[in-house]
Amino acid sequence: MENFLQAIDTLTIRFALAAVLLPLLAFVVNVCLPGKSNKAAGWISTLAILVSAVLSIFVFSKVWNQHQVHQQQLWFTIGETKLYAGVLLNNLSVLMLLLVSLIALPVHVYSTAYMGKDENSKRYFAYLSFFCFSMLALVVIDSLVLFYIFWELVGFSSYLLIGFWYTRSKAVLANKKAFIMNRIGDIGLLAAIAILFTVYHTFDIDQLFGANALVRTTAFELPGGWQYVAFGGIALAVAAKSAQFPLHTWLPDAMEGPTSVSALIHAATMVAAGVFLLGRVYPVFTESELTILAIIGAFTAFMAATIALTQNDLKRILAYSTISQLGFMVMAMGIGAYSSSLFHLATHAFFKCLLFLVAGIVIHEMQHVKDEYKLDIDPQNVLYMGGLAKKMPLTFISALIGGIALIGLPLTSGYLSKDGILIQAFEWSEGKSVLFRLIPFGAMLTSWLTAFYVTRLIVKVFFGEFKLSQINPGIKLHVSDGGWQYKLPMVFLSVCCLFPAFSLNPVLYEHAWLLNGFPRITGLDRVNIYHTIVPAGLNILSLFVIYWAYAVYVMDKALPFPEGGWIFRLSYHEWYIDKIYSKIIVAPVLTLGKLARWFDINIIDGFIHLLERIGIAFSKVADWTDRNIIDGFLHLVASIVLGIGNFARSFQGGRVQYYLFSMLAIILAIFLFKILI
Amino acid sequence: MIGLSDFLIVSAGLFCVGLYVILTKRNAIQVLIGIEMMLNAAILNLVAFGKYDRFNNGGQMFALFAIVLAAATTAVALAIILNVYKKYKTIDPNEIHELKD
Amino acid sequence: MTMVKALFYLMGFITLASALFVAASKNLVRSVFMFFVTLLSLAGLYVLALADFVAITQIVIYVGGILVLVLFAFMLSGKETLANLQQQNDRFISISKLPALLLAVLFFIVMVNILFKTDINNLQWVNKAVSYKIDIKPDSPMTSNIGTNLMTTYLLPFEAISILLMMALVGAAHLSRKEKNG
Repeated sequence: MENFLQAIDTLTIRFALAAVLLPLLAFVVNVCLPGKSNKAAGWISTLAILVSAVLSIFVFSKVWNQHQVHQQQLWFTIGETKLYAGVLLNNLSVLMLLLVSLIALPVHVYSTAYMGKDENSKRYFAYLSFFCFSMLALVVIDSLVLFYIFWELVGFSSYLLIGFWYTRSKAVLANKKAFIMNRIGDIGLLAAIAILFTVYHTFDIDQLFGANALVRTTAFELPGGWQYVAFGGIALAVAAKSAQFPLHTWLPDAMEGPTSVSALIHAATMVAAGVFLLGRVYPVFTESELTILAIIGAFTAFMAATIALTQNDLKRILAYSTISQLGFMVMAMGIGAYSSSLFHLATHAFFKCLLFLVAGIVIHEMQHVKDEYKLDIDPQNVLYMGGLAKKMPLTFISALIGGIALIGLPLTSGYLSKDGILIQAFEWSEGKSVLFRLIPFGAMLTSWLTAFYVTRLIVKVFFGEFKLSQINPGIKLHVSDGGWQYKLPMVFLSVCCLFPAFSLNPVLYEHAWLLNGFPRITGLDRVNIYHTIVPAGLNILSLFVIYWAYAVYVMDKALPFPEGGWIFRLSYHEWYIDKIYSKIIVAPVLTLGKLARWFDINIIDGFIHLLERIGIAFSKVADWTDRNIIDGFLHLVASIVLGIGNFARSFQGGRVQYYLFSMLAIILAIFLFKILI
Repeated sequence: MIGLSDFLIVSAGLFCVGLYVILTKRNAIQVLIGIEMMLNAAILNLVAFGKYDRFNNGGQMFALFAIVLAAATTAVALAIILNVYKKYKTIDPNEIHELKD
Repeated sequence: MTMVKALFYLMGFITLASALFVAASKNLVRSVFMFFVTLLSLAGLYVLALADFVAITQIVIYVGGILVLVLFAFMLSGKETLANLQQQNDRFISISKLPALLLAVLFFIVMVNILFKTDINNLQWVNKAVSYKIDIKPDSPMTSNIGTNLMTTYLLPFEAISILLMMALVGAAHLSRKEKNG
């Protein structure tokens, strides 16, 4: 029986490994394919991810809520330290495995249509496969060292994808920014790993954070300060990867990449890695550290939501909504709602992916209009859109479902996860000081803001009249939902956004099956009134907000904050964070650079020139010595040798009489020798 | 009678003159003449010693052989010198130091 | 001083003097003719050494054969060749010839030294020959003796040298032919 179980486990591990490695294989095959654009490339990648998804489902079914599967092998040994590498499959990793492959699948299908005509489509799919491989490997790996490696690879492949259109200077700036921001987080993660290793002498995630977590059972040997350094490192890593304040500014800029890439980055892969890291190392945090996380998350959520209110770029709005939702997740981690956080990660992945795919289609069609009439507009600007609901009904419905899920109205998955977080936030803050109370209320306010900007977005894009036609009546719209490669992913994701995918009870989040996979916490029991009041109040007010936004944007009611006011400007300029960064960090760095350059040119170079002069003088002396003494000696030797050589040569000059002469001279010498001696 | 040493001294003198001619002359024919001189010095020695052997006559016989051989040598040497002159336009033995074409 | 001795010194002097002239002469033709004189006086020396047959052979082959051959060789080869062959611009004694001169003189000294060292006039076998009276007397019939020896004791060298002579003649004829078909 045991053998049988082990065989099953081995099979599971092999399937998981296959699921991880298939995209890598697709990457290699795509790289080897001839030409720049190859139709086969897209289908190879899609096939790979499809098989990965199927395998992931199998692995999920074997591991979820059963026993954890962990196998490892000796990787290498340094001195006494043995490093193991292996695969760790527990609820968290199989959930992520399933989520990543399931989200990546529709994105791949969508990409075959969306990017298939691009001249570099082969490169695109190669990168995409590589991205998926990095993320899948990150999820299943059991060693912190390998975790770090794949963490870097995720960042690197997202760098490649954001800068996919590397001829656009904005894309290059954006991917550079994303990369640098992520580097800051990577340093934090590396420092944290190093500290953890110093304390516990292992990189094994299971030993460190698993059932008998070393971080819980073993005392922290280093002075107390190091615990906070490790926490700071991890927090920095999470902030960078999951775009939390203060390292969030790369994510909106990352919109320069292809929209399908944005869908993947925002939904399941890149930004989810940060939350996943939190989930992996969760036991390491102390109470106060978790509180800090909660504050960061809540603040980020609120700030991003306010910024999203006034943005005009379709993808930028979605980007800030992602930051906001990630803030929710980090906050949930901070308040101890571990399972709800991951639940929200899963639901958010689906509806955010859906929204990005919708945005991609809309932008695609707007680009067509722009090209057709040679207009000088930004195809991503929502101000030029409107009235698209009639033209692209399926897209509209998908957007509506995604939007409602994002707001968190009942019957959607978003309702289940987000309200769970809010309820637990209220429970958490109960009995704490007023300052802690700000967190749940801030989250609630954020939720209403979300309702507002989502409504604004949908109204601006799909309701009313097509704005360009109002300005220029000659423009006729003939846009559509696109082919099956567009429709199928949208339908699939739309279905996944509805409540049956996660819970059979559309109102009570506690019944969601996903939550049972993680350690149960008190928040799951309906012990107090929050479980009724919060969802009800939240959603009723949300409906009001939605109506208000609808009123403002469709019926042209007055704005709550007039455009041009300081609040509007604050929001519109994204809280001036980028500007502050460029003033406080970038400008001083540049000044420092200039100063260093001046120092380099005037002082270091001067010193070097001095050295150079001394060197030249020395070398001149050496040169003279070399020429006159050493070379002289050498020339002397050479001339002696030459003389001997010439002397010897003269005997062999082919001159017969010399031969004879020397021969006779030798004979004579012998005779004289005989006579004289 | 004339002593053996007198012949031998004359012979030695002739030999050394021939040697000098061979070493110094820049003309192959003169070098050939030098060789003949040395040969004659040797023949003179043979003859002088041959005086003391009446029955076998070894000295005189080999003097005869040497004379005949010298004749043959000279004939061949002259032919070679003329051919060399045709080819190199010189008969200075010091300038003919390349055997190749 | 007997007549024979006087003749010997005369002949020896002529031989060495003419040889020296050959060595010193700048003119090729003149030196060839002086060599002629040397050979003739050598023949005289052979006669004084009681080898009259060898002396005759010397005159016939050397003077009559070789020298004529030499003269013919460059007289038949054209004016230009003759002028070239005659070119002589060396002095008898110059710095470049000093080593050769030194070498020759040293050789002479060494040989004379050896002659006196070995006491050549009192060699054992010479004295024995004189005492047994088997040395050649001026009245000995030598020519018939040579003929007998040539056909008996020295038949093999005689035949060998005849073949060699023939080879030399063929070779000389081959070398000096006009190359028309080769």
